[in-house]
Amino acid sequence: MRRIPAEARIDCVWILLSGLTVVAWGLAKVHGEHRLTPSGPETVAVLAIASVKSRLIIRQYMEVRTAPTCLRRATDAWLVVVMVTIAVMYAYA
Amino acid sequence: MVSILETTPTEQPRWHLPGDINIWVFVLADLFSFAFYFVVFMVYRIEHGSVFLDSQRHLNLTTGALNTLVLLASSRFVALAVQTARTGDYRRATRLVSLGGLCGILFTLIKSYEWFREIADGFTLPRNEFFMFYFSITGVHLFHVLIGLLVLALILRELREPSLRRASMVEAGAIYWHMVDLVWIVIFALLYLAR
Repeated sequence: MRRIPAEARIDCVWILLSGLTVVAWGLAKVHGEHRLTPSGPETVAVLAIASVKSRLIIRQYMEVRTAPTCLRRATDAWLVVVMVTIAVMYAYA
Repeated sequence: MVSILETTPTEQPRWHLPGDINIWVFVLADLFSFAFYFVVFMVYRIEHGSVFLDSQRHLNLTTGALNTLVLLASSRFVALAVQTARTGDYRRATRLVSLGGLCGILFTLIKSYEWFREIADGFTLPRNEFFMFYFSITGVHLFHVLIGLLVLALILRELREPSLRRASMVEAGAIYWHMVDLVWIVIFALLYLAR
């Protein structure tokens, strides 16, 4: 399999991260900026986008993708604990 | 002392620990500290749901999104700087770290402007539980940004002085800076976007 040059990968990740930020901003701007009632689907989408962005930063920019297994698991554990806890507590609210 | 020149792009180790074990212990401890803040925020959100929803309407989504884009750009510059330093092009690496730092300064200015606007409109820390968390969490994060700027200044010093250049130091500084970006992404989702 052909390897993507490191700098090209960093640029692709940056474009993806910025694009996802604009999508999340647009979603909140259109549907939720002035709402006074909770919105489950919108919040799930926002948390899903934040999870993808977080993992991209951890794996690609912090270079955890090439790190030892224990570090890959520790960072994944942090991400899962944070996002699942927030989602469950949001559902409970 | 390990020179950056010892880590060539042609080497393909099975795995590589970026930075060193100390920075990862620090970063993971810091990440779990922020996770604790987020859980406490959610506990209060459960108790004061309507206050939180009403208060969130007064945050400027566009300013928050702009700051996210600024931090992502800074992370890109710093990630490119690490790759460039590994190839031995220290002049370009220095330039990229400087650009990352300038983005960090821009983030600080935008965040200060946002705080100024909120306070001018009467949304101060004691106003309610939401603004208590808003100023506390973004304040702790801003403190991390300022420490990150000092770390980037140390990296610049290392890159400019041939006898100080260490791959692990440049990588460790970059990991800290990316952690600041990572935490902001969760803060942006939790405080600004989630309803």
